[in-house]
Amino acid sequence: MLTKDLLLYKIREGQIYPQFVKPTDSNLLSVSEQLISVFEASPNTQRATLLETSKHIIDSTAGPVIVKRGLEKLLLDRTEFDTAPNEELIAFRQNLFIETSRLLSQDQFTDYEEYQEKVLQIAGDESQSEKGVLGDRLYADLPSCQPVLSFRTLSAEHLLHRYNTAQVQGLLLHCNSLTLNLTDSMTAELRQLFKYLRFNQLLCTIRHVDRHGDLSLQEQKEKVGNNDFYQITVDGPLNLFYKTKRYGMNLANFFVAVLHQPKWEITAEIQFRNKRSSRLFLDESCGIKPISQQFLAYIPEDIQLFQEMLRNKTDDWQIHPGSQFLPLPGDFYCFPDYQLIHISGIEVWIELFHPWHQGHLLARLNTLADQTETPLILGVSKDLQKQSIIADALEISEYFTEFGFTFRDVPTMNALLPILNSFVDSDS
Amino acid sequence: MDTLKIDFDKGTLILQNVPDTLKSELPDILWDERTLTFRAPAYRYRHIISQLRAHDVAYEDSARQFTVKSFTNQKQLSPYPYQSEAIDAWHANGKRGVISLPTGAGKTFIAILLIADTQRPTLVHVPTIDLMHQWCEVLKEHFEQEIGLYGGGQHELQDLTVTTYQSAVMHAPHYGNRFGLAIYDECHHLPGDQYQYAAISSIAPFRLGLTATPDRVDGKESRLYALVGECCYEAQVQELSGKTLSDYRVVTIEVNMQDTERVQYEEARRTYLNFLKKARINMGSSRGWQTFLWKSSQSEEGRAAFKAYLTQKQLSFASAAKQEWVWKLIQRHRGDRILIFTQDNDTAYQIGTRFFLPVLTHQTKLKERNTFLNGFRDGTFSILVTSKVLNEGVDVPEANVAIIVSGSGSVREHVQRLGRILRKREGKQAVLYELISKKTGEQFVNKRRRQHDAYQRK
Repeated sequence: MLTKDLLLYKIREGQIYPQFVKPTDSNLLSVSEQLISVFEASPNTQRATLLETSKHIIDSTAGPVIVKRGLEKLLLDRTEFDTAPNEELIAFRQNLFIETSRLLSQDQFTDYEEYQEKVLQIAGDESQSEKGVLGDRLYADLPSCQPVLSFRTLSAEHLLHRYNTAQVQGLLLHCNSLTLNLTDSMTAELRQLFKYLRFNQLLCTIRHVDRHGDLSLQEQKEKVGNNDFYQITVDGPLNLFYKTKRYGMNLANFFVAVLHQPKWEITAEIQFRNKRSSRLFLDESCGIKPISQQFLAYIPEDIQLFQEMLRNKTDDWQIHPGSQFLPLPGDFYCFPDYQLIHISGIEVWIELFHPWHQGHLLARLNTLADQTETPLILGVSKDLQKQSIIADALEISEYFTEFGFTFRDVPTMNALLPILNSFVDSDS
Repeated sequence: MDTLKIDFDKGTLILQNVPDTLKSELPDILWDERTLTFRAPAYRYRHIISQLRAHDVAYEDSARQFTVKSFTNQKQLSPYPYQSEAIDAWHANGKRGVISLPTGAGKTFIAILLIADTQRPTLVHVPTIDLMHQWCEVLKEHFEQEIGLYGGGQHELQDLTVTTYQSAVMHAPHYGNRFGLAIYDECHHLPGDQYQYAAISSIAPFRLGLTATPDRVDGKESRLYALVGECCYEAQVQELSGKTLSDYRVVTIEVNMQDTERVQYEEARRTYLNFLKKARINMGSSRGWQTFLWKSSQSEEGRAAFKAYLTQKQLSFASAAKQEWVWKLIQRHRGDRILIFTQDNDTAYQIGTRFFLPVLTHQTKLKERNTFLNGFRDGTFSILVTSKVLNEGVDVPEANVAIIVSGSGSVREHVQRLGRILRKREGKQAVLYELISKKTGEQFVNKRRRQHDAYQRK
């Protein structure tokens, strides 16, 4: 990520504009290539040598220095240095300092040179040090001397996209919440988005902004993709009380998942310390390509296991990763983990709650209370159930009694199948 | 109506079944649309429970995940009268509040006695890894039990745990309901933009702040008092000097640069100042430094000015003349335990390399840090060079001479550096030398930092 001094932005009339680079800019592509090749060749060289060589490129090529320093910073983030302690040198230092301490405490020297000679004599006995070399050797394990172990390379174009992403992330570090509008997103990309959301311990409110008046749940599902959109406000638990940037890092990390959405808009209020806040608005037209990998074709292990268990028990149901919002009563939405489709066409969703989803589960139980229309099954981890507030809430929830189950590591078919089949029975 | 339930969730409290009549009485509870529950910041736990009790409301408390624990102090040491006063003041303040005492006055010992009194699992917050390990050793020594460490790559919780502020900000949302007593060492750090969430995300009903200097230049000490409790006891360095602290004197040495260095300094400073003038940068303004960084990166001339800025600063911080004085003082104080402070790591390593001395900076690996600190305490090493890591808290009672080769204009920093040599020892006369480059910007910096009481004596 970029530090604040490397961010490039302009503020006009309360609006903040990150200054993106053109990923097709031939000059910057050339500079990027030069920098990348220096970093690629860096394994086994010292940090100071690497920085000196890259500084030479920064100073000698055309283009804004701040951009080039930003590119260098992103490359450094991909570089691993050998930070293991140099035990031999540490022992040498320790022994030498014991001697110098003894000399300085006990002996009177006519001048510094006499002291230096004495120290060199002592060190020379052990290390054959020559005059002048000892000083250089003494702290030769400082970070500037650390050798490069490895560098994760990337293409010049990818680096420039990463730079633009980092510009946005650098601003999001200074925001307290993020509003995300999604259109055309009834796809598997959403799964990744919500995984990032949960992984970053963020909370969200999902609203369906409907420009077509009141629609049934099914109609709403079909309409999205035209003029409607989902508005997702993302923040953390404490945002209810404080305009805090406590979750800035979480939001910055979350942003990389937004880039995988086909049509998106984000709005965020950016506030640097002791400064007036500015509004950041950005959408997919900014042209930043996703910098993280997308695993749409990848079937997670838990799903594979789930599929296998289901196949062993029945051929009537097919399981898929959750890939769309499910409308809930009261203008709320959730993003279930799995979708199950019966051979008759009946669709049922499963949402799993792990030990860290306490707040989410309580909210879901409240939303689903007093109705049985939503085809959503709730799976609750036994560890979460151990919490007394959850145990009590589950015990009194009629919805959970009818459409819920508990699990230890992964849901079992014995617990799930009877509930699934109850949807088929009630439909027939 | 169902029983009111209260639980802990990621640094906040979730409340269910809150009677309508009570909503206005409970501090900071708000309806959370995202989770359809009432929510409050975790640090309001004590107040909420007090209100529920005051209104005789039945409740189920799943938030609190700690119980009474017996901690026995294995060392039978008696507190000084002022330490007893501080302890009494904290109890009288409802087991909350800040105790402000000069470095070396035994704040840690007060904390030990209060942990034993309070009998609750305790989380101690500190600003640095060095302090974390130091607290760990002290707690082990007094309570003879396993001490948890959270920070610097360690993640182990015990009934007595020490953490860094930085780590607590990240992890308090997970363990903020496991401790009944929270201690904030060097608590003037707590009101920082991020650090305050270490206290906000914890339900600990009992809180103790320890510092030598609670005042902050940004005036945010009121935030500290809101999160930890009011300042309940305070004593100044001069009140304890010669009694429980060592007697001390401060000697300022104005150093003349060598002629060649003076020429270099003047030239670099001229280049730097000319650029400021030309680019119309006011370094006194709040954005001055950032503007300078930005504008200096935009042109060759700017980059030269930035380089000149660094040169003149480096020359005033670490001139050859200063190094000569360091040599003279080392020789003058043969047999003493000397701490040499610098403003930056480069200068620290320059001195360490020139005089073949151990240097302790944030770059020093943990094992070697301990070797250097323990070696300094037991006399194996009589001199230690450091930049800033020893400014705060780290206990080196044997030190009796401090040489400040360079520093910032911060009053706090200099009071803290002075504090390193003030711990009482029989017959100890502490002396702090400040080396100031004559006719340089350092003279102004020196004036600024000498405004504290501790400096108003010779």
